[in-house]
Amino acid sequence: MGRNDHDAIRAVLSGDKDAYGALITRHSQTLLRVAFRITGNEADAEDVVQEAFLSGYRKLAGFESKSSFGTWIYRIAVNCALDKVSGRKKHNEVRVAGHYDPGEEEIQIADGAAGPERLALSGEIGAMETMALRSLTATERTAFILRHMEGCTSVEIAAALGMDSNGAKQAVYRAVQKLRRRLAPLRVGV
Amino acid sequence: MKHLSDDELVDLYYGEPAGEPGGVGDRAELGGARQHIESCGYCRDAFAALKSDLDAVPAIESPARGEDYGQAIWQSIAPRLTRYEPRRFEWPRLSAGMRIGIGLGFAAACALLVAGGFFAGSLWQSKHPHQMAVQNPSPAAGSHTGAPAQPRVVVVVLSDHLDRSERFLVELKHADLDNSGSGTPLRDEARNLLAANQLCRKNVASDDDPALTTALDHLDRLLAEAASSPGRLNGAALARLQNEMNADGVLFEVRVLRSRSTDQGANGSDRPNGGTI
Repeated sequence: MGRNDHDAIRAVLSGDKDAYGALITRHSQTLLRVAFRITGNEADAEDVVQEAFLSGYRKLAGFESKSSFGTWIYRIAVNCALDKVSGRKKHNEVRVAGHYDPGEEEIQIADGAAGPERLALSGEIGAMETMALRSLTATERTAFILRHMEGCTSVEIAAALGMDSNGAKQAVYRAVQKLRRRLAPLRVGV
Repeated sequence: MKHLSDDELVDLYYGEPAGEPGGVGDRAELGGARQHIESCGYCRDAFAALKSDLDAVPAIESPARGEDYGQAIWQSIAPRLTRYEPRRFEWPRLSAGMRIGIGLGFAAACALLVAGGFFAGSLWQSKHPHQMAVQNPSPAAGSHTGAPAQPRVVVVVLSDHLDRSERFLVELKHADLDNSGSGTPLRDEARNLLAANQLCRKNVASDDDPALTTALDHLDRLLAEAASSPGRLNGAALARLQNEMNADGVLFEVRVLRSRSTDQGANGSDRPNGGTI
């Protein structure tokens, strides 16, 4: 697989633009999955996939063949997804986070009038969990998704988010603490 | 007993050692945490609660896409991509010093090539002297007189002079003594030949060729006498010149020299010297 990726990259850099189509076919599903998990929106996820492959094509001349193209384009997609959710923040007005941390970006979502108890009582546990996840900052949410759902190590998370490993671990710790606090009423109710 | 922190419990849940960021090899630390949980009810309960909470967070499933999803992405972005130009070889950028060095090196190489050509040519010439002599014959090369080389034109002039002199002497020998009109052309011819003969004599004076020198001396006296005769050569003057010619054997000497000159000219070497006109 990796060898085929490098062959395709060489072909693209030699003027065979169509060879990039093979790379897209090979990695598009993975990028769509992580983009959707980070953005939580199908349309945004598809935009992220396109932007990631466009950006990857333009940066392909600087790609170091000693690394994996899959890992490289995956990181680009994560960054594109982060940019997407950060940009989306400007369009949302309601803050749902329990406290404000000026050092981090907040994910802004429409909270509505429903409280945890009402959601639990109405059986919308999944929606509650999703809301708890969206209450995290973009960095915390992405770090948690990469750790909890994508199975990435701290080193991989750090590389994707452009931070050191300790920072990545701290982001995961904070995400877990916030999620547990958010989900505590639900656990008691259940 | 020291209990595990929340962060250590998280690391234990995800299977990552707390002290090794991203560590995948320090399983001993994880093993120690697991052993602690087995023996510590407090930490065991805390870990169970954490596990329950995190297990309840479902993995977000991405929307299903068909096999042609990648192709669809490619079709949508392909028009926006610019084809990469094939990488071409580029001469490295050179500093001014390097350019000067390369220029000097090139000039030195050219000079060496020219010098080598001259050297090879001189070597070849020294190894093939006979071929060079044939291609560019030198009249004095290997001459029996040992005289310095003379241009081919000198040899031709001497040969021509001897030829003309022989014809003059033959006409003088058979001149009609009763017809005074035949003396005028002989006198004019003698004057023409005299100048050429003096030049030839001057040129061969330094050569060790007594036969040629003697013959040219005899011819010079005869021509001078014929050329200096006042008025037309009459019968008496012609008879006197014939007697001198016969006495000195000038005609014979000229014929011998002319035949020798002809033979040497045919051989391409051992040519007699002559004068330059």
